[in-house]
Amino acid sequence: MNDTFEMILASAFQLFLVLASAPLISGIIKKTKARFQRRRGASVVQPYFDLAKLLRKEVVVSPVASWLFRITPYLVFASTLVIALLVPTVVTPVPLHWIGDIITVIYLFALGRFFVALVGLDTGSAFGGLGSSREMSIASIIEPAMMLAIFTAAVTAGSTNLSIIVARLSSTPVAMLNPAHLLAFSGLFIVTIAETGRVPVDNPATHLELTMIHEAMILEYSGRYLALIEWASQMKLMVFLALLSNMFFPVGIATTWSPWALLVGSAAFFCKIIVLAVIVAVVESTNAKLRLFRVPEFLMVAFILSFLALILFFIIGA
Amino acid sequence: MSMILFSLLLGTPIAGSILCALFHKRRVLEIITVTSSGLTFLSAFWLMAKVMQETTLHSPQGWWYADGLSAYIIIIVSGSAFVVALYSIGYLRRQIYKRKVDAPKLWLYYLLLNIFLFTMMLVLLSNNLGFLWIGSEATTLATAFLVAFYERESSIEAAWKYVVICSVGITLALFGIILTYFSALHVVPASGNALHWSSLMLVAKELDPAVLKLAFIFILIGFGTKAGLAPMHTWKPDAYGEAPAPISALMAAGLVNVALYSLMRFYILVDKAVGGGFASTLFIIFGLMSMGVAVPFILLQRDFKRLLAYSSVEHVGIIVFALGIGTPLAYFGALLHLLNNAIAKILLFLTAGNVRMAYGSRIMHKVTGAIKVIPASATLLILGVFAITGWPPFGIFVSEFTIISAGFTSGNIVPAILFVGFITTIFVGFIYYTSRMVLGEPHRPVKGSDADSASLLLLGLLLGALLMLGVFIPSQLQQCIQNAVNVLKG
Amino acid sequence: MGIIHLSTIGLLIDIFAAAILVTAVLIVSSRSLVFYIRLFALQSFFLGAVALLVVLGYGETHILIAAFLTIAVKAIAIPMVLTRVIERIQVRKEIEFSINITASLLLCAGMVILSDSVAQSILSSQHGDAPAVSRVLSVSIAMMLIGLFIMMTRKKALTQIIGLLTMENGVFLSGLSITYGMPLIVEVGIFFDIMIAVLILGVFVFRINKTFETISIDSLRSLRH
Repeated sequence: MNDTFEMILASAFQLFLVLASAPLISGIIKKTKARFQRRRGASVVQPYFDLAKLLRKEVVVSPVASWLFRITPYLVFASTLVIALLVPTVVTPVPLHWIGDIITVIYLFALGRFFVALVGLDTGSAFGGLGSSREMSIASIIEPAMMLAIFTAAVTAGSTNLSIIVARLSSTPVAMLNPAHLLAFSGLFIVTIAETGRVPVDNPATHLELTMIHEAMILEYSGRYLALIEWASQMKLMVFLALLSNMFFPVGIATTWSPWALLVGSAAFFCKIIVLAVIVAVVESTNAKLRLFRVPEFLMVAFILSFLALILFFIIGA
Repeated sequence: MSMILFSLLLGTPIAGSILCALFHKRRVLEIITVTSSGLTFLSAFWLMAKVMQETTLHSPQGWWYADGLSAYIIIIVSGSAFVVALYSIGYLRRQIYKRKVDAPKLWLYYLLLNIFLFTMMLVLLSNNLGFLWIGSEATTLATAFLVAFYERESSIEAAWKYVVICSVGITLALFGIILTYFSALHVVPASGNALHWSSLMLVAKELDPAVLKLAFIFILIGFGTKAGLAPMHTWKPDAYGEAPAPISALMAAGLVNVALYSLMRFYILVDKAVGGGFASTLFIIFGLMSMGVAVPFILLQRDFKRLLAYSSVEHVGIIVFALGIGTPLAYFGALLHLLNNAIAKILLFLTAGNVRMAYGSRIMHKVTGAIKVIPASATLLILGVFAITGWPPFGIFVSEFTIISAGFTSGNIVPAILFVGFITTIFVGFIYYTSRMVLGEPHRPVKGSDADSASLLLLGLLLGALLMLGVFIPSQLQQCIQNAVNVLKG
Repeated sequence: MGIIHLSTIGLLIDIFAAAILVTAVLIVSSRSLVFYIRLFALQSFFLGAVALLVVLGYGETHILIAAFLTIAVKAIAIPMVLTRVIERIQVRKEIEFSINITASLLLCAGMVILSDSVAQSILSSQHGDAPAVSRVLSVSIAMMLIGLFIMMTRKKALTQIIGLLTMENGVFLSGLSITYGMPLIVEVGIFFDIMIAVLILGVFVFRINKTFETISIDSLRSLRH
């Protein structure tokens, strides 16, 4: 009884952490970008207010849309929550780590993407279809890259379970500097940019037909549906950053539930996440969005880097 | 004692280069170049005499080395350089007269010619494989501007291809040398010596065969590119076609032999270390391939100098093929062929240069009736072509015949038959084109004149040498070649 | 030099070698001539760093000069020369390919695998102690192959120079990895040769530009058979 109760508490803690801080991270990125553009920019907590506002607003649904349209925001939100439960953030091992491993995470992302792409087609608007097709062609290159990058980390640790990977890595700090690891990190970083729809792959702030991919698919959403989808993307970003920081540099992560460890773990986690978020913002601000037909080349580089990472692991050894 | 010889052979071309750099008057440059190449040539004979006495010569640090093989080739190369230097006098004077060449260009020519000679000597005298490499790449660099000499579009294109392809090849050869060094490091006592060919020969049996096999492949491709072995020969027609005639001659007679020398050194080493006919088989294959590749390009050719370039590819193939056969008789034939080919190529390229100057074109169907326009050069041309295609009583017939019999007696029947087939086909093509060029009436009135009599005399002497070699081989020469054959046997 | 120290040197060498390979791959993925030159400079810098690490870790002081030469010549001087050449001649800075980027990158991945097997065959036959740096051999062979690939599939004259230099870097790295570099005088001679080769090719690029309108290799096709 006690055990289950602890488990529920711990999971709730993890969930709450991700839910609550995701908008903050998104706000930090927006603020940094604004600073780069020599603007003051909105405050970092603005996304919370935006979400609250959206939740209060009326929902408008296209008459042609089907049940898919209404279900998808909940589906995407829920799948992202499950991923949030699986990815080690402050503590490892994560309480529900036996639910799934990396492959589950990848498929959960794919699930979300699949439904959003369908929704883009569902509303019958041209923009939606446009976004869906672009998104799918990007995904076809990004998925293998992501898998290879994550597998490199998995092969190093000898397991596909995220918590075990992080645990093993945090106990042997030297392995973090393995060149295969570093290459996998850079590969996964590019994947993050592509998956979360950031410049130079996609512009999250645009609604111009020429340039939008992700935004195109969710163009028709409003009110609470939009809120859920927005929140889910923010959590997705946070999860990716958590993957990047904890799978490759799990410094300071807590291995027990003692208060001190939790404190250190939280501090370390947020530091790393914020640094990564700023880096993402810098990358976004210093690069121009790629023309659409150049995007596959860029993603190919991610694929090759991840591929090289795996090969180097076998050549140079762990 | 040996250091004096080495210094002489290396230092004379260096001195020549430095002096050429300092002076700009045409007469002075001519004298410097002829003297330095002549002195080098004489020193080569001295080297040969010493080597006959002492079999091998080493320098104190072990960087320089000479034996029967290198002494023989040094004579051929320095002799070629000397002949070319002499001929260049007349050639460049005519070009100056025709306003094709101005004083600064003339100076560049002689300067680079001296440097070229130095780089070739560097390769031929090196014991250190690293120096061998440095010298080989240096020969490419020294000749780069010589190939681009006339600065036509096609010349620059040819020079570009030449430098790029040869540098790529040479870089691969460097990897092969590193692999050789790697295999030697574990075996040779002092690591400073692990790059020295003489030290490597001593421990050949202990070198790792697998690594050496891989190294040999890279070296064959690398130095084969320099020699113009197929399929790495693609730079040759362009470079030989565009370069001034004396330079093409020196490249065909000098550079080719220098590259072949590098191949031979490694061949000896690898054959001793690996055995089992690995190196020989590769040589036979590449040799036949070169001859085979040359056939269609000779039969379907428009430009005379490119024709000669493909002939060079063919003859390099012949020599490599003979080396691959591997019997002492074959080695003798190969080395004799080295000499004959060098003389014949110089003769032909220089004569072709005369034809071109008289007619203003290298395209063969534009040249007809040469016998009426430039009788001396035309005769030399047709006789030279007979010589190079292996017609008795010229020298090449003797060396090719030796190689063929070596092929048959050693049991390589099919390759030998292919060999004969290739030679015959090439002969047909050559004779067809040359007779059309030489005989008959000139299409249209041609204003050109022949070279001056001194140059023609020089060419006549070359032809005479070929004739002599076809009839009998002086015993001194036989001795030299036999010495070199002994080195090849390892 | 304790064992711990040696292993960190080994780790650093591994990281730099991987970085060198990455720069080579990024060159293949790039469309801009200026980027090519910058990546090459970075690559040579990493190479010099590897050489310095070999000096520090294994005490082979004769490579010190080679290391400095690599950095001074290949990482600084040659890129400067090449950039000057680009500025002087009006050339479109976009590179044309005969094999597009995506396919090229896949081929490069294949080349890395191939070079690994070649390196294994070289090293496995050597019984006894192969130096720790030998793991880097596969990277060097890959660089040679990628350099050759760049030369064959990119159509600008300047890219051929960079491809050649990349091959050279690969060979130098292979020398470092299995033999700790060749004797000093040989390495210096090799450098000298390369510098002159680049200068000569640079002069030719000028001349090519004067006679042709572009420096694309496609136009150098007038000499056929």
